[in-house]
Amino acid sequence: MAIQAVHVPESLDGVVACSARGGRIMGGGTVVMPQLTSGSTAVTELVSLRRAGLGGVEVRDGVATIGAAATLTAVGEHPALAFLRPALRTIASPTIRNQATVGGNLFVAQPYGDLAVCLLALDATCEIAGPAGRRDAPVADVLAAGIAAGEVVVAVRVTLPEPGAWHYHKAMRRRLNSAAIVTVASVTSAGDRRIALGGLAPRPVRAVSAERLLSGRPLTPENLTEAGEAARADIDPFDDAYASAWYRARVLPVHLRRAFLP
Amino acid sequence: MPSQIVSLVVNGERREFIAAPGATLLACLRESLGLIAAKRGCAQGACGTCTVLVDGRPEAACLVAVETVADGSVRTLEGVTSGGELDEVQSAFIDCFATQCGFCTSGMIMVAEALLDRNPDPSEDDVIEAISGNVCRCTGYRPIVIAIMEAARRRREQAVPR
Repeated sequence: MAIQAVHVPESLDGVVACSARGGRIMGGGTVVMPQLTSGSTAVTELVSLRRAGLGGVEVRDGVATIGAAATLTAVGEHPALAFLRPALRTIASPTIRNQATVGGNLFVAQPYGDLAVCLLALDATCEIAGPAGRRDAPVADVLAAGIAAGEVVVAVRVTLPEPGAWHYHKAMRRRLNSAAIVTVASVTSAGDRRIALGGLAPRPVRAVSAERLLSGRPLTPENLTEAGEAARADIDPFDDAYASAWYRARVLPVHLRRAFLP
Repeated sequence: MPSQIVSLVVNGERREFIAAPGATLLACLRESLGLIAAKRGCAQGACGTCTVLVDGRPEAACLVAVETVADGSVRTLEGVTSGGELDEVQSAFIDCFATQCGFCTSGMIMVAEALLDRNPDPSEDDVIEAISGNVCRCTGYRPIVIAIMEAARRRREQAVPR
């Protein structure tokens, strides 16, 4: 069935109202539009976030609030989010980064969604609006369970890492514009090290086994390799055109090590 | 919701046309406005042949529902120059043999235009990143990178006010 309506509300209330009536939320369209064009979705109404005023980035007291409709380009252009630039440059092409949004990144299947891997490592909070009002949820919950029908992620809130506390590495088939074979993102705060992985499960996952092994230990090549091997307990890899599940699990320790010791 | 009249500023000129719900910007440019430089390649945002500038930035027109950019400003290859002259990027593509079959050329030129508008003196790495979303199956990319570097040089030398 062809698309019946594309709503382009100019306020959050308008987005929630359209979404509550069953419209599918669309950020930049990089995932939704190909599904429509190829006829692989039954969606008949879209709700675009493009004009809803959700594209801003605000930073106050070391916390960045990134609007769900902020493009990946806009994220990279904000001076306070410069630590994310190397990660953003590994995602798609500059053209697609002008369209793809932070909110949309939370709802794409791996091996896409490297920014969602970063947000999981950063322990981001999602601000969600729905017919019942506003609520906050950890990004881990949104990645694992999604949001209720009619709800919409409005923004993600991130505590900016201390200098030197952020690590990111992505293994891909080409230097630019290729999906993840293995993505590793990590942030250390107050001695607590969080490690998130992409390309290794249907959704981004925490490498809790690796985190446990590295707790209180120095980041030596040996310790990191051991942690990478332990992290195989945290993953559920898949075969795709980029790599086999076997290969992804095989090279995980190498890339976990390279995230910290390039 | 029925088809509606959509208004866009295309290559500096206000254009109005009737669009079915969810029509892509690419389909509207080609079928309603007769601007056929932007090509339909993969229709998934992966090949870059449909790249146009939306409010000055390259976007894959096949991924844009036209309602979402209504009243916005779109620039296509047809609007790169007026009066039949070629601009520095276009002439460098010819001089450097950067086009063979031509299917990718309009998208390549639009990302090059956007790059040079923002960065008049790009490094080769900047150029390679800028065209990383544009697939070319003829040239092996090298002549395209050389052409964009050459276009940047010519534009700096002429200091063309744009």
